Amino acid sequence: MSIRLSAEQAAFLQGPLSINVGAVGRDGWPCVCRAQGALVARDRRALTVLLAAGRGREVLDALDAGSGIAAVFSHPATHATLQLKASCATRVAPNSAHHACHARYAAAFGSELGALGYGDELVRGLAALMAAGDLAALRFAPEIVFDQTPGPAAGHVLAVA
Amino acid sequence: MKPALESLRACLDGAIPAVIATCAPDGTPNVAYASQVHYVDTEHVALSYQFFSKTRENVLAHPYAQVQVVEPGSFRHYRLRVQYLRTETGGPLFQYMKAQLAGIATQSGMGKVFVLRGADIYRVLDIEAVDPRLPPAPPPPDALLRLRRTLDHLGACDELAQLADRALAALTPGFGIRHALLMMLDETGSSLYTLASQGYGHSGIGAEVALGKGIIGMAAHERILVRINHRTGDYAYHAVLRTAATNEPRIPLPVLAEPHSQIAVPLMHADRLLGVLYAESEHDAFFSHADEDALAIYGRHLAALVAQLAALPDDAEPLPATATPAPTGALLAVRYFPDDHSVFIDNDYLIKGVAGSILWTLLNEHAQSGRRDFCNRELRRDRRLPLPDGGDNLETRLILLQRRLAERCPAIALEKTGRGRFRLVLDHPLALHAMS
Repeated sequence: MSIRLSAEQAAFLQGPLSINVGAVGRDGWPCVCRAQGALVARDRRALTVLLAAGRGREVLDALDAGSGIAAVFSHPATHATLQLKASCATRVAPNSAHHACHARYAAAFGSELGALGYGDELVRGLAALMAAGDLAALRFAPEIVFDQTPGPAAGHVLAVA
Repeated sequence: MKPALESLRACLDGAIPAVIATCAPDGTPNVAYASQVHYVDTEHVALSYQFFSKTRENVLAHPYAQVQVVEPGSFRHYRLRVQYLRTETGGPLFQYMKAQLAGIATQSGMGKVFVLRGADIYRVLDIEAVDPRLPPAPPPPDALLRLRRTLDHLGACDELAQLADRALAALTPGFGIRHALLMMLDETGSSLYTLASQGYGHSGIGAEVALGKGIIGMAAHERILVRINHRTGDYAYHAVLRTAATNEPRIPLPVLAEPHSQIAVPLMHADRLLGVLYAESEHDAFFSHADEDALAIYGRHLAALVAQLAALPDDAEPLPATATPAPTGALLAVRYFPDDHSVFIDNDYLIKGVAGSILWTLLNEHAQSGRRDFCNRELRRDRRLPLPDGGDNLETRLILLQRRLAERCPAIALEKTGRGRFRLVLDHPLALHAMS
């Protein structure tokens, strides 16, 4: 069973957010990787997160081995944060929509950090990191959504299947 | 080659939030932001524990986690495989993290929700450089060179007053530091007083900070160097002063209203705390980790010089008396309150504590015998003065008194006439009133 994300949540998840994806390897070690964009399905019951395959090898291997997925989306300016979890994620071949999403995301996230006062060097580093050509796409249907905005309410369940 | 943890210290300043991945007992992953990942030593980091979170629940059950940190200036990522060991809820590391967290919290506008409950200590088992091909961040200025330049400007000092001023002045060409204080521990060991300042509208000479209060008080209390690289409300002294008692005489600390970077360096000589060197800036991330290391060494050097100068023998006797004309002009009323040894000149607060007591003793001695020339050695033996055995702080107290008089009451002056010898110079006649 999956849940249906609200329209607000879908819009938020596709914004210029800091995105990190976690999984647990066969050996029990948790692992994490920065993602580079997200695309919510039209029915809002699934989303695809994009990451560089080389940087995310450990996470991808863990997911291939059957790990659940946890993805955290945080807006740097406001710290508004959501965490989505699912018991599995599927690797899909990146298509033109994914590549377009990635390009949009890289530009928007760079502008977001630049506007927050992070220096040119960091924004250049981000651009170099985002330029990796080995895009991987992970599709999953969220089963639970948490509000993870820092504070005493962090961890509050917003939706569950 | 695996990066060394100390080479990642710039990643641990909170400029770009770190994330931590953990695993629940049922194998479910969890990813959360870590407010603070603090460098403890070459093998350990500490993460702030603020709320009982899923991360905490997970590591208590399964102590293995992965922490991702980012190098500001390059956006290079590193992943640390860590093992949770224990939680500390007091002591120097906890206090340091509490201060740093206050800085991070204020910077992110979340001062009210960032309260440190513990410092979770993790052993770092492995480090992975995720982006080895990205160019590194430009190196920060060479802190060793900055230290050398500072010491060159400090030069040789043969008396404490000179050392106090030069110790701060040398920080500008050395580290670009424009705002700094030199504070000394008082006789009771419960507070620090300002002996010298640089870069403020008023000098604040004599201003006090209680041990444990604010970043200066905490550095002294815990005897640790504390560096905060973001603006913080909790550790700004204006906040401390607002909450302090207002009915007692007080010299305001001359600090910046909203410092964006602060560093407090305890002046330790062997295992003895002598004072604190404090510097601040209007800019975020002004002090690098390497600056912290260099200023820690500078603090040790200054403490050794203070101890060395304080241990030099004084001249044995005061200068012989010389005839001087009696002061003329308007009568100044000097009021002395024995409870706290505070001295007021024409109702304006001047000084209290040991320095107040010294002034009152000198003025009375002069009124009774006409003496103007004194020496440290006799003051050390004077039972009327609340000095600890040996009177270690006498010289710094005299400097404080001399500077406070020069600022607030130039009609009364203490002029140095030799090592440990000085002369009381009065431009106006005085009326002395001991208050009950």
